[in-house]
Amino acid sequence: MAIAAALLVFMLSFQIGVYGVMKESTLRILDGYAQFQPDGYAADPGLDRSIVDPDALIRDALGIEGVTTAAPRVNGFAILAKGERSFGAAVIGVDPARERQVSSIAAMVRDGRYLEPADTDTAVIGSSLARNLQVSVGGTVTLLGAARDGSVAADVLRVVGIYRSGIPELDRSILEMPLVRAQDTFAMTGRASTIALAGRSLDGLDAALAPLRTLAQRNHVALLDWTALEPALHDALALKYATTALLYLTLVVVVAFIILNTLLMSVLERTREFGMLLAVGMRPRLIGRMVWLELLTLALAGCAAGLAIGAAATSWSQHQGLNFSGMGELLSQFGLPARLYPALTPASALIGPGAILLAVVLGGIVPYLRIAHLTAASAMRGA
Amino acid sequence: MRSDLAMALVLAAAAQAFAGSAPDADAILERAYAHYRSQSSATTVAMTVHRPDWERHLDLMAWTRGQDDGLVRFMAPAKDAGNATLKLGRDTWVFNPRLNQVIKLPASMMNQSWMGSDFSYNDLAKSTEIITEYTHRVAANEQSEGHTLWTIEAVPKPGAPVVWGKVAFKIRDDDLIIEETFFDQDLKPARRLRTERIAMLGGRLYPVAMTMVPLDAADQWTRIETSEGHFDMKMPDYFFTLSNLQNPRQ
Repeated sequence: MAIAAALLVFMLSFQIGVYGVMKESTLRILDGYAQFQPDGYAADPGLDRSIVDPDALIRDALGIEGVTTAAPRVNGFAILAKGERSFGAAVIGVDPARERQVSSIAAMVRDGRYLEPADTDTAVIGSSLARNLQVSVGGTVTLLGAARDGSVAADVLRVVGIYRSGIPELDRSILEMPLVRAQDTFAMTGRASTIALAGRSLDGLDAALAPLRTLAQRNHVALLDWTALEPALHDALALKYATTALLYLTLVVVVAFIILNTLLMSVLERTREFGMLLAVGMRPRLIGRMVWLELLTLALAGCAAGLAIGAAATSWSQHQGLNFSGMGELLSQFGLPARLYPALTPASALIGPGAILLAVVLGGIVPYLRIAHLTAASAMRGA
Repeated sequence: MRSDLAMALVLAAAAQAFAGSAPDADAILERAYAHYRSQSSATTVAMTVHRPDWERHLDLMAWTRGQDDGLVRFMAPAKDAGNATLKLGRDTWVFNPRLNQVIKLPASMMNQSWMGSDFSYNDLAKSTEIITEYTHRVAANEQSEGHTLWTIEAVPKPGAPVVWGKVAFKIRDDDLIIEETFFDQDLKPARRLRTERIAMLGGRLYPVAMTMVPLDAADQWTRIETSEGHFDMKMPDYFFTLSNLQNPRQ
C-alpha cells in the first residue's frame, strides 16, 4: 500500500508538472497566457479588425495584479521575396522589449540577434523560411501585401536574426518586424491587431482573468484565455487527464481490494477469537468497530509512509529534474525542454493516498457488517 | 422487313441528331470567353472597392493577349500609381514602384486579394481554367429582355486542382456573361460577379460595369467600370515581358 501511495504521489506530481510546463511553454512561444483581440478577430482575422488606442488598454491591463507584460502586435500577411524566390508568410509587428517578455522566439534566435527597441527596418525570420528564401543574417527581404486601407503594403527589411523553434509551421511562415514600422507599412498607425498578455505564471494570470474581462468589455474588445487561444492543447490535456485518471482509479481499486482481502482473511481466521469476545459479553458492533479501526490504522500508516516516500522522491526529482535528452527532438515539438520537473503540490501529493484511504474506509464496511451478524455459538463452532 | 429495320435505324439516328442540337454548354462558355477576351484587348477601367468603413477608387489600364497573358497597370490614386501585375500563362508577377522591384507570386498566393479588392489574382486574367478543368452542363434556359439566357453549371473534373466546388454562369445568347456565382467546396455560394451595364465598346457589346460581391461579408463589394476599350489589335511582343512590367515603354 505504501508503494502504491508513493507511486500515485509521484505520477500525479510528474503529470501535473509536465503538463504545466507544456502549457506554459506552448503558450510562451507566441500566444501569451491570454490575449486581447478585436471582437470577431479569432473567427476572421484581418487588418480590418483592430484595437484602437492599444496603449491605453495596455496601461490599464498592467495595473491589474498578475499581469506583468502586455505586448501589442500587428498581424499582417504578405508575400516575402528574395530575388526570384517568394513565399507567403505571416508578418508580425512587435514591440521588441515587451515581446521578449511574452514570447520565447527571442530566446530561439540561433543566428544573429533578436529585434531591439532602436531597430527600424529589421526583421527576424524562421529558419525554414530563411532556407526557402535563401537569405541569411545581413540579407534583405522584400515584403508585399495589402494594407488596412486597401493600398499596397510594401517594404524592404534587413534580416538581423534567424530563429529555430522546432515547430515546422512557426519556422516556415513567420516574420517579426518592429511594431512602429509594421504599423506604418500596413496603415495601422495607432492601432494593434492583438495584445498578448503574460504574467509570472499561467495560474497567476488566470487568477486575473475576471478584472481583465471587465477591462475588455469596457474597451469593446474580446479577451481570450489560454483555452481559447490553444483549444487543441486544452482538449488534448483534458483527454490525457481523463485517461490517466482511469489508470489511477484502477490502481486505487486494486490496492483497496488487496488490503480488504488481507483483512477479510484475518477476520475469518479470528472468527473463533471474536466468538470468545462475544461469549464474554462484548457487543458485535463494538468488535466490528474495533476491526474497522485496525483497518483504518493500517491504511493511515501505509498512506503516510507512501506519502513520505512519494513526496521525498518527487521533491528530489523536482530539484534535480528528470533528464529526457534522448527525446529532445520530440519534446521540443511540444515546446518542452529536455529536462522535466514534477510539480509537488498539496493536490498532487494528497489525491492518491487520499483516494486509497477513502476506498479502504468504505470497503471496511464489509468486514464490519460480517462481524455485526456473528453470534457467539456459531462463531466459535465455525472456526 | 429489312427496309423497316433500316427505317428504324435512320429514325433513331435522326432522333439522336436532334437531341445533339440542344445547346452545347462547352461551346456556349467558350464563345462567351472568346467574346470577353477577344484576340487581344486594351481597356481603361475604374475600380471601386467598397468596405463598411471606407471606399477606394482606383484607375487602371489592362491589356490582354490570347487566353492567358495579361498586364494591368494602376494609374491613380498617387499612392498606388505604378503598381502593375503581369500574367503570363500560369505565372504572375507584380511590380511595385516604391520597391522598384518585380516579385513573382507564389502559387499559394494566387487566391489572395488583388490590390485590396474582392478579386483575387486568379480572377485577373479570366483564367481559362474554368474551361479546361471543369465539366459543363446547361442547367436551365430562360427568356429575358428578348434574349435567351443560358444557365451553365461548371463542376470541377475529378482531381482538378481548383478552388471552387462549382461555378454557375448566366450567359446571354449574344455571348455576354451576365452573372457568375462561385460556390465553395461545400457548394455554398461564396461570391457573385454581376454584369450591371452592357454597352457598345470598341465596336462590340461589352459588360462595361460589373460588380463582385462576396456573399459572406456584409456591405462589401468591388465594382469595375470600363470606359474605353480596343479589341483584336496587334500587340507588340515586348509588351508582355518582365522588362516592360518594370519599365513601361509607352
